[in-house]
Amino acid sequence: MASRKDSIFQTKDPDFHDNLPRRHRAAKGWQIVLQASTVIGIIVLAALLLNIIDGAFGYVATQNSIEPEQLAMGVQEELMLTAPNTVSSEDDVELAEGIASSPNAIGYFGYAYYLDRADELRPLTVDGVAPTADAVDSGEYGLARPLFLYSTAEIMQEKPEVAAYLNFYLDRVNQEIEDVGYFSLGDEALNAAMLTWMNAMGIETAEAETVSWPVINPQSVSGEVKTAGSSTVYPLSTRMAELFQVAGYSGELEIESIGSTAGFRRFCIEADTDIASASRAINRAEVDLCKKAKREPVEFRVGTDALAIVVSQENDFLTEVTTEQLRQIFTTAETWSDVDPSWPDEPIERFIPGADSGTLDFFAESVFDQELADLPKETLVAILQANVSTGLFRRFESEIPFADRSQENVYGLVVERVVEPEIVQTWPLFESVFSRSDVLAEAAAEHPDAEVSFVSWLNPKFIVNPQSANPERAGVRTAILGSLWTILITILFAFPLGVGAAIYLEEYAVDNQLNHLIQTNINNLAGVPSIIYGMLGLAVFVRLLEALTSGKLFGLVDPTTANGRTILSAGLTLGLLILPLIIINAQEAIKSVPNSLRQAGMGLGATKWQTILHHVLPNAMPGVLTGTILAVSRAIGETAPLVVVGASTFITVDPTSPFSKFTTLPIQIYQWTSRPQDEFRNIAAAAILVLLILLLTLNATAVLLRNRFSKRRMG
Amino acid sequence: MTDMSNRPQNGRYAIEARDLSVYYSDFRAVKTVDLKIEPRKITAIIGPSGCGKSTMLRSFNRMNELVPTAWAEGEVLFQGHNIYGEDVDPVQVRRHIGMVFQKPNPFPKSIYENVAWGARINGYKSNMDELVEKSLRRAALWDEVKDKLDQSGYSLSGGQQQRLCIARTIAVRPEIILMDEPASALDPVATLKIEELMRQLAENYTIIVVTHNMQQAARVSDHTAFFMMDDDRAGYLVEHGPTKELFTNPKDQRTEDYITGRFG
Repeated sequence: MASRKDSIFQTKDPDFHDNLPRRHRAAKGWQIVLQASTVIGIIVLAALLLNIIDGAFGYVATQNSIEPEQLAMGVQEELMLTAPNTVSSEDDVELAEGIASSPNAIGYFGYAYYLDRADELRPLTVDGVAPTADAVDSGEYGLARPLFLYSTAEIMQEKPEVAAYLNFYLDRVNQEIEDVGYFSLGDEALNAAMLTWMNAMGIETAEAETVSWPVINPQSVSGEVKTAGSSTVYPLSTRMAELFQVAGYSGELEIESIGSTAGFRRFCIEADTDIASASRAINRAEVDLCKKAKREPVEFRVGTDALAIVVSQENDFLTEVTTEQLRQIFTTAETWSDVDPSWPDEPIERFIPGADSGTLDFFAESVFDQELADLPKETLVAILQANVSTGLFRRFESEIPFADRSQENVYGLVVERVVEPEIVQTWPLFESVFSRSDVLAEAAAEHPDAEVSFVSWLNPKFIVNPQSANPERAGVRTAILGSLWTILITILFAFPLGVGAAIYLEEYAVDNQLNHLIQTNINNLAGVPSIIYGMLGLAVFVRLLEALTSGKLFGLVDPTTANGRTILSAGLTLGLLILPLIIINAQEAIKSVPNSLRQAGMGLGATKWQTILHHVLPNAMPGVLTGTILAVSRAIGETAPLVVVGASTFITVDPTSPFSKFTTLPIQIYQWTSRPQDEFRNIAAAAILVLLILLLTLNATAVLLRNRFSKRRMG
Repeated sequence: MTDMSNRPQNGRYAIEARDLSVYYSDFRAVKTVDLKIEPRKITAIIGPSGCGKSTMLRSFNRMNELVPTAWAEGEVLFQGHNIYGEDVDPVQVRRHIGMVFQKPNPFPKSIYENVAWGARINGYKSNMDELVEKSLRRAALWDEVKDKLDQSGYSLSGGQQQRLCIARTIAVRPEIILMDEPASALDPVATLKIEELMRQLAENYTIIVVTHNMQQAARVSDHTAFFMMDDDRAGYLVEHGPTKELFTNPKDQRTEDYITGRFG
């Protein structure tokens, strides 16, 4: 088109002043407005849904008030400490002397202390492995734990004194470590540590074998090296530091013994140390924490600590034990022959570290590698008794005697009441996904002992659990059942009544003042706020018709209710609420059935009712059902009228009849959202998802039914 | 309520309006009509728009009463009974005096069900398949639909739908069939078919047909009644007689004016 301004056809009529482009522009404008409103609607809906989903999934930090492993370990330690003929002491020298003095004695402590008295004591092989440097280094000896230093490439490159200290450490550690009392690394492990050092320093190591270890002269550097961490590594580090200074280092060197975990915190969070020492490997959360502080830790294994199981040199029957035998020897066995019949029938004399010792913990953890869940019922009962109040313990006993409870049941109680996993912090989905490291770092910083896991608040347990005051145990079963019961009553009440009224008004009602008034009233009732219906329901169903709605009339009183605040009252109230909607929608549907159908029916000699039943209603039904689906969906989501009618705020019993007291999903959601704790908002989001799914399921069923209906009509 | 079905026909007319006036509320749509309908003949009702033709037709089986405000004065005698009599049920009247409408209005059901439904609700207990086939044959539709009886009545063409409506009407075995402009919504070919069908049906049924189309009236009808609207907008019967006579030699000037196209 050459020019869009005027028509290409000439017009001679001066009365027409058309501007076609303008008309098109206006049309286009309106089209854009309409599209925009659709898009806005979709965006708002999507935002709503995303908001809900955001709350329903995400990371949680769960903190046990006591770790289950620790409980299990505690049990074993208690068993060891209370075994007969047991001497326990924090002083390892005392233990060593005790063991040396009797052929029937046995005990364990750090390898260093064995070395001190190698002439009086003899270490045993454990599961056929002797505590030699090789076995410890390769990990075959089960009672060994590695020792580490951690730093970062940046620190090493920026502070040559740190690089030099580590260089010196790795260079000399194998010469000194056995003297300190630990085990040296094998060549391979030491080489790996040295390669790590070179990599961190940016030295090309593609052909590592040909690259020689660049020894740095301590005299060439100065400055400040700060290390903190494991008390186990501490003596080794102290020795290395002394030697470093002897070799000519003139700067400052600070070594603190604060424990491995605290060492990592200093290194990663406060970031004020150059090196962290540890008697265990760094864990994932700590790595994330470090990364957040822009520190990427590199690991140097420097040695190994091992426990020696020792007997006296005088002992003539024992050279090797198995882990299984160790468990018996240090707990239940009374004589050596109890463990192995070929051993003498002499009482076992045990010498073990005291309750405050980390060595005892390590021994219990390594030897009695037992999960809390696997402990025998009696042990679990003992744990429970030791950790809960007497009153609570008695209550458990009176509910179901412990003798009748299963091991799983008691384990459940122990977890619930003693381990007490408690959610200390939650994160929404998008934060969990898009700033995962921030979340993990935050969790590690604020709740170092907590376990961080990704959870779906919407899970099978949430569906089947009843309401609970504890958000982790709370579920929506009661609410789902309440909603289903209520909606069933609502439909049974409102559908026949509403459709019936619509048929009467459309097909039978004469055109008079009274019927006009009724019609106007119905239209107005559809706009009355739902809480008004709640008040009506309270006055009529709960109070006036109490005998009916509480079930007294039928002798079916629910013992927990005994008043009119029942499912029946709720269902009837919601029924009243949606009755006008159903009537109006059904009227419209009936109106839209063409009159020709009525005439055809009547013309054949059918009565009015036959015509309505066989032709008008079936043809109106899809429309009637659409209206009903909309109305029922609204009823499912109603909260306010049910609050007035008296939905229970906290019930854990399932509704069993129309005369049960009740709660519904929206009530539950309303309640949870008004709680101050974060976790309740998460389960409220999950409950909203449940409600949405329930709604979608009910609607899909109804739509399916409706479609089959209209298909059959046309068939 | 008396059962009329077994009574012998009384008098020589199929149906007879005596001094019949039809009202909607207080508006008189048709006034003081006396009209005798010959049995087994086709009577056409013609006249200008709004002259009460349809109202007149519907008053023969009380279909006008579907409009809540409609009422009638006078008598319509059928088998010797006034169908407006107090003891007469309009439902029964319609079973004996069937109706075919202007626009084809089959039920949204299968072709078979369209035909069978009317018979079933009126208590037909014999072989339904036979009745459906016979009715469809009489409506000259059988050959076209015999292989798709379970398909929707809506799947047929307009003309076929109208014949289906006729089949549906004759399935309840009425004595009189009222047709309200039965071909006005159809194309010429379908119209011709309907007209042929009407001629065939006239061998067994009394047919009263309202039509706008004077050629159609001249072609198919045996008798013609000419209606006009008075100054008070009430329709009245101007002239009634054998079609040939009325079209060739009308007694009334107004009839002549109308059929020669001077007004209307």
